[in-house]
Amino acid sequence: MSDQNKDQCNPTNGEPTVQHSAAPMWIIVVTLTLLFFGGLYLDSHGGWFNPKVYAPYNTAERLESFQPQSGAAAAAAQGKRVYEAVCGICHGNDGAGKPGQAPPLAGSEWVLTKGDNRLAHIPLEGLNGSLMVKGKEWTLNMAAMGAALSDSDLAAVLTYMRTSWGNQAGEVTPDDVKKVRDAIGSHLQPMNGDQLMKMPE
Amino acid sequence: MKSGLTVFLAAFVALGASWFGFVYGPLEQLGGEKQTTVLQSPDSWPPQRTGAATLGLQVYRKYGCAACHTEQVRQSDAANEIWLTSLGDHKPQDFRDFIQSLMIVPELMPASNTIVGKLQQWGGTVPVLLYSGDDATVVSTLAGKLKPVGVKAEVQVVALGADIRRGWGMRKSVAADYLYDEPVQLGNLRAGPDLSLVGVRDPDANWQLQHLYAPRSIVKNSTMPAFRSLFLVREKAGEPGSPEALVLPQEFAPAADMEVVPTAEARELAAYLLSLKANAPLYEAPFTPVTAAK
Repeated sequence: MSDQNKDQCNPTNGEPTVQHSAAPMWIIVVTLTLLFFGGLYLDSHGGWFNPKVYAPYNTAERLESFQPQSGAAAAAAQGKRVYEAVCGICHGNDGAGKPGQAPPLAGSEWVLTKGDNRLAHIPLEGLNGSLMVKGKEWTLNMAAMGAALSDSDLAAVLTYMRTSWGNQAGEVTPDDVKKVRDAIGSHLQPMNGDQLMKMPE
Repeated sequence: MKSGLTVFLAAFVALGASWFGFVYGPLEQLGGEKQTTVLQSPDSWPPQRTGAATLGLQVYRKYGCAACHTEQVRQSDAANEIWLTSLGDHKPQDFRDFIQSLMIVPELMPASNTIVGKLQQWGGTVPVLLYSGDDATVVSTLAGKLKPVGVKAEVQVVALGADIRRGWGMRKSVAADYLYDEPVQLGNLRAGPDLSLVGVRDPDANWQLQHLYAPRSIVKNSTMPAFRSLFLVREKAGEPGSPEALVLPQEFAPAADMEVVPTAEARELAAYLLSLKANAPLYEAPFTPVTAAK
């Protein structure tokens, strides 16, 4: 033991005191390096604390690139959404219609036509007058509910009608809807069953 | 104490930082979690549990099911995929040449080696996986180029990982899945399988009840204890006995004049198990649900 230490431990020299000493340089360097790489890792894997971003997606951009973009499922879901918002109120979410108000769409010969020209006219122009549906006569006054929908929304909703509740008919494309809409132009004319029958399917 | 203030401040900062990281941060991030919508569908997620299923969560907790079962699916990665499902009236060689000619499209350049390489050894059988990887642009560009030539392709997003291969989940578990769980029964040991999807894997309440009463009557080497206390073994009141009685194989059935009926707890637990169906694609955990056979 050196003389200096002896002095410090000697009770007659008073209480020992805490002394400051600088942290070794290598500890500071290692800590900063670790912090730097930690920061890099957090940046690339943390998703910036976005609650929607989980591993293994790591960033919001990468998660976005895995969102299913299209496909039949998307169109069907879109059709259902629009149907339930616009058509279902009268025709029922099950397509069964409402007595005295709206005829059924499930199994209706107007929905299950071979082509979609006649069907597309109904939401685009509306109905006024008598119409036979499944052997029953209806006196209808339907507004042009589909005129305000976009081509793709109307196509999706018509496809949904033609493929739901046991209906099995071909899909309606936005181009078909656009053709009918262009043919109608600005001559909106609510029709009855006889007038509709004169149109090509 | 000379440096009392320093010690106090240091302790305060250390505790405050961990409070911030463990309590405040997560609360800020996920505390406002609400019901969300299922991708490409008008449905909400998660669906509300029935009353019996809500009570069943407490039965699940009471019997310590979470000691051996987890309710969390892990996912290691995801992929955008495009499958060729029909060649139309093209010949495989024509199609191969067509794909080769597409590879000058800038969006397809990064994947050209993989796609062309896949078709090199291909004999013309469909479906064939054309591309599987990170790049959504490759998939959408390729799908757009294939549509006008009369070739049918299917685009999908798939979740990858061991749990998903085992069929224990369709995607990773996310916070929204546990919105109505109180307390959340995550579990951390898999002596038994993960139960996130058990309501889809075994959707029959009678199956669940029989499995709770006699696990080895269904899975021969199961290590799960039989939860006999959830059932009442009683004398039959007459033939043919209670309609609720379990239909058990000979080996596990009680004496001929006895029957095994589930208690209310057993039915609640079964209802809870049937409510575990993490099968909805969400924004934070996307995948394409399989609708048609590939």
